[in-house]
Amino acid sequence: MKPILLAALLLASCSKGGPPDVRISDAWARETVSGQTSTAAYMILKNEGAGDDRLVSVSAEAPAMAMLHSSESSDAIARMRPLDSGLAVPAGATIELKPGGTHVMVMGLRAPLNVGDTLKLTMRFEKSGERPVDVRVTPAFGPGPRR
Amino acid sequence: MSRVRIILWALVAVALVAFAFLSFRPARTPAPQSQPMVMSSIGGPFTLVGSDGKPFSSAKLTGKPYAIFFGFTHCPDVCPTTLARMVRLRQELGAGDRPFEIVFVTVDPERDGPAEVGKYAELFNSPITGLTGSPAQIEQMKKQFGIFSKKVPDGSGDYSVDHTSTVLLFDRRGGFVATIAPEEQDSAALAKLKRITA
Repeated sequence: MKPILLAALLLASCSKGGPPDVRISDAWARETVSGQTSTAAYMILKNEGAGDDRLVSVSAEAPAMAMLHSSESSDAIARMRPLDSGLAVPAGATIELKPGGTHVMVMGLRAPLNVGDTLKLTMRFEKSGERPVDVRVTPAFGPGPRR
Repeated sequence: MSRVRIILWALVAVALVAFAFLSFRPARTPAPQSQPMVMSSIGGPFTLVGSDGKPFSSAKLTGKPYAIFFGFTHCPDVCPTTLARMVRLRQELGAGDRPFEIVFVTVDPERDGPAEVGKYAELFNSPITGLTGSPAQIEQMKKQFGIFSKKVPDGSGDYSVDHTSTVLLFDRRGGFVATIAPEEQDSAALAKLKRITA
C-alpha cells in the first residue's frame, strides 16, 4: 500500500495544477540595413505560474511576418528551421531565445530597423493567450553571447 | 665491387616500386578526408567582386592575416552573431587597431550584390571586407575554401541558406592555420587569433 501512496504523491507533485504565468522580458533585435528584409528577435520567457504552457506562434505587424525558428550547427553547418511544434514553456522554467539558438525570425521588413526603434510582436501561447512584446532594436555589433 | 652495384640497383628498384605504389594508390582508392590533407589544400589566390563593384583580388590581403566567413545578408541569426563576435574578438585581442582582416563572402550571390554585401559589412562598426561575385566565382571560391552551402525553402515563399558556420583563419602569407567554430570558447578562439597575428 505504501509504495502506491508514494507513487500517487509523486504523480500529484508532477502534474502541474493552476494556470501558467508567462512573463516576457529583455526583448531585442539587431538593426538592419536597406535591402535586408529580415532580422532575428531574442527575449527571455519566464513561466512563474504553476501550469505548463507552450509558445505556439508569433506574429509581427503587417507586412512583416514572424516565425519561431531554431538555428542548429552540426557538422560545422548552420541550419535554420521553423519550429513547427512551438516551444514548451514548463511551469517554473526560464527560456532564453538567444543568438545561435531558438529565435523569432522576422521577415518581410519593408524598411530598415534603426537602433532605438521598437518592433512590435505578438506572442501567442497555448494557455496564456496573446502577449504583445515591444522589441528594442539594438546595434548589430552589440555584445552578443560570450563563450 | 659488382656486388655493391647489384645491391645499389636493387635499392633503386625497391625505391621505384615504392614510388609507383605510393603515387598510384590514391588513384585506385580515394584518399581519406583526413584533416591535414584538407587543411593544406584550403585557400589560395582568388578574385571576387568588392562592395564597390570592382574586382577584388586576394593579393590585397597579402601581408595581412585574415579571418574569412561565408554567409548571406538575409541570414538574421548565425551570420550577424558570428561577424559581431569576430569584431569583438579582434578588439579583445588587443594587438593594435586591426591585427587581422575580417572577410565576409556571400554564398547567396543571387540576392547579394556588391551594394548588399557592402552595407551589411558596415553594420558591425568595424572594418569588414564584404565580397560577392558571379555564381560561378562563388562556386569556385566555395570549392577552394571547402565551404558547403545549400538553399532551403524558408516556409514563407522565400529561401534560407544552410552553410558552413566555421570561420577560417589564414596567416599573413595566405596559409591556412585554423578554424573557429560558433560553439567554441572565446579563450580557444583568441589563442588561434594570436597564432595568425604573431
